[in-house]
Amino acid sequence: MTFQLGYGTNGFANHRLDDALAVIADLGYTAVALTLDHHHLDPFAGDVVKQTDRLAARLHELGLGVVVETGARYLLDPRRKHHPTLVSSDQAVRVDFLVRAKQIALDLGADCVSFWSGVGSADDWDHLRSGVAAVLESGPGVPMGLEPEPGMVVQWLDQALRLRTELGNPEELRITLDVGHCVAVEPQDAAACIRQAGELLVNVQLDDMLPGVHEHLEFGEGQLDLPATLAALTGIGYTGVAAVELPRHSHAAPDVAGRALRALRAAEWLAEAERAVRADPGAIDTLFPAAGRAVGAGQDAARVRLLTAFADVSGDPVDGLTRLYRYGTSAERRGVLRGLAELGDRAPAAGVALVEDALRSNETDLVAAALGPFATRHLGRHAWRHGVLKCLFMGIPLTVVDGLDRHSDAELLRMVAAFADERRAAGRPVPADALALLGKAS
Amino acid sequence: MRIFDPHIHMTSRTTDDYEAMRDAGVRALVEPAFWLGQPRTSVGSFVDYFDSLLGWERFRAAQFGIAHHCALALNPKEANDPRCTEVLDVLPRYLAKDGVVAVGEVGYDSMTQEEDDAFARQLELALRHDLPVLVHTPHRDKQAGTKRTLDVVRESGLAPHRVLVDHLNETTVRMVADAGCWMGFSVYPDTKMDEARMVALLAEYGTERMLVNSAADWGRSDPLKTHKTGLAMLDAGFGESEVDTVLWHNPVEFYGQSGRLALEPVAAGAVDAATGSSVLRGER
Repeated sequence: MTFQLGYGTNGFANHRLDDALAVIADLGYTAVALTLDHHHLDPFAGDVVKQTDRLAARLHELGLGVVVETGARYLLDPRRKHHPTLVSSDQAVRVDFLVRAKQIALDLGADCVSFWSGVGSADDWDHLRSGVAAVLESGPGVPMGLEPEPGMVVQWLDQALRLRTELGNPEELRITLDVGHCVAVEPQDAAACIRQAGELLVNVQLDDMLPGVHEHLEFGEGQLDLPATLAALTGIGYTGVAAVELPRHSHAAPDVAGRALRALRAAEWLAEAERAVRADPGAIDTLFPAAGRAVGAGQDAARVRLLTAFADVSGDPVDGLTRLYRYGTSAERRGVLRGLAELGDRAPAAGVALVEDALRSNETDLVAAALGPFATRHLGRHAWRHGVLKCLFMGIPLTVVDGLDRHSDAELLRMVAAFADERRAAGRPVPADALALLGKAS
Repeated sequence: MRIFDPHIHMTSRTTDDYEAMRDAGVRALVEPAFWLGQPRTSVGSFVDYFDSLLGWERFRAAQFGIAHHCALALNPKEANDPRCTEVLDVLPRYLAKDGVVAVGEVGYDSMTQEEDDAFARQLELALRHDLPVLVHTPHRDKQAGTKRTLDVVRESGLAPHRVLVDHLNETTVRMVADAGCWMGFSVYPDTKMDEARMVALLAEYGTERMLVNSAADWGRSDPLKTHKTGLAMLDAGFGESEVDTVLWHNPVEFYGQSGRLALEPVAAGAVDAATGSSVLRGER
């Protein structure tokens, strides 16, 4: 990885800045995105120069890189959030603040100052452009990362690039990209945005999001493809700061930041592993087992991704899948079984053999993983029914069975009814799942 | 009393044993690969056994809230059978797995040239896979075997703190202590060590680098010997923290060198605890 993983101090709003930096560094981050705020290096404080010097020393001592963020909510106006902006009539207040931020960035040795446009309409475009020009012309020469922000005049990467073009491509005007915003509003995914921004990228904010919803989420809660995003950053040779941006998680900041770093490390590992498998399919033999340790809870999905990469480049993916299953631990076998949903159709006979093997086992995880969409499509009906019945015997919830409602038939119901009778005859309770299945049919 | 049994062969034990172990405080264990009583005749038999240690046995242990790990190797006795030695070619693949926290049991049975070769090769594998090693010392000619073991370890380039030399007794403990390796003791109903002698050795040598195991298997043995040794320590005036050092902290520290200890048992994923598990086969 070529870039520095950081955390945004706006996600530590309930911490003293010094404490926040210590927690962030102790967790293993190597950078911070510092949001200037009334309690975090107030740019309007009388002793801001002294404070900045002290902070620069502190960052150095902790080995933290830094970018300066300017999205504080009530720093300029105690009543109106984010006000005034570069599209407001009193734009000059924002310009003055951004110029102060440039001086602070210079004194801190920060990579850049990051900023956004403001909420307005298309009619505000020219006003915005002259505001940006004013910021660029004043104060020291510091790279300025314009961040497309959902709902603002510049909300898409295309618009940020257009504004830059209109200003004559000034060297100091660069791009800040929030990868969650890409999921929420961009027409292409975050990795594609990163490639499009290319060498103009000067700052990256990391978080998850759902399409159409501007809400910063922890990794895994939205639809961001984190490994592909990190791979794209490596791919363009990005060397700056990529900092987690979770401004609404301050109440649990240390835990959230710890989880985020674990997710980033796991995604980093997976991105590198996918690259390695695409370069040499044989690498999967050692990476497939290691995925459990490297990725933890998301290991099934990670293994499916490795299998997908493997199947794309391997000369004999079927033999490979079979071998990984044959020599796999239970967790690895589960990964192969999950992968069949996407890859199994290429070689149904080999896939069915693996599913049948798993259904002969007595491990609940394997039986559950065997009854996915691949089994629905390719497993013989007799074997499939026995798989469902086996779930009832083993206490596996029937929710694991793909397409149960669509595919249950009279023969399955007969088998389940007989099982229920047998339980009753022995004076034992009938599993609720069995009753539910029989109930739906009656 | 929380207990980590650093050497026990659960494939030979029943669910009653698991239940009793859990009740006695066993929360984690390491099952080293060894021979099955009935000699193996092919590599396939090893491969199925390794799969079992990584899969079924881990799953079984999890049903009882016990974190199961294993050590994998070609054992010294079967290192003498050419039909078995080819397992060394598939071993690297298995040493990469989650749940494998050491290479073992390796070492000597009859101190043959074949055992020398297998031992040296597997110490090399341990170095390459960054795993600690569990060494079995022989039943016959134990002192000579232990001395030769320490010589081979020294020549291998493995740091002594990466090696646990097991099945020690009064006559072999000193040389292992001086070599800087970890010292393992198997407490048995009739053979090897017993609780009283074990406590005497702990009084003499202290608790540092000392591990106590039941080594329970298919022979006459007792999976609760770790617990009973802990009780004997308390009776003899050892404090609870010293018992914890021997029965928990030391095994965690030794096997923790693998970086693969997971002391929360792997949850039995799809099972609804309220309705039962496959081990119970729907009896409830």
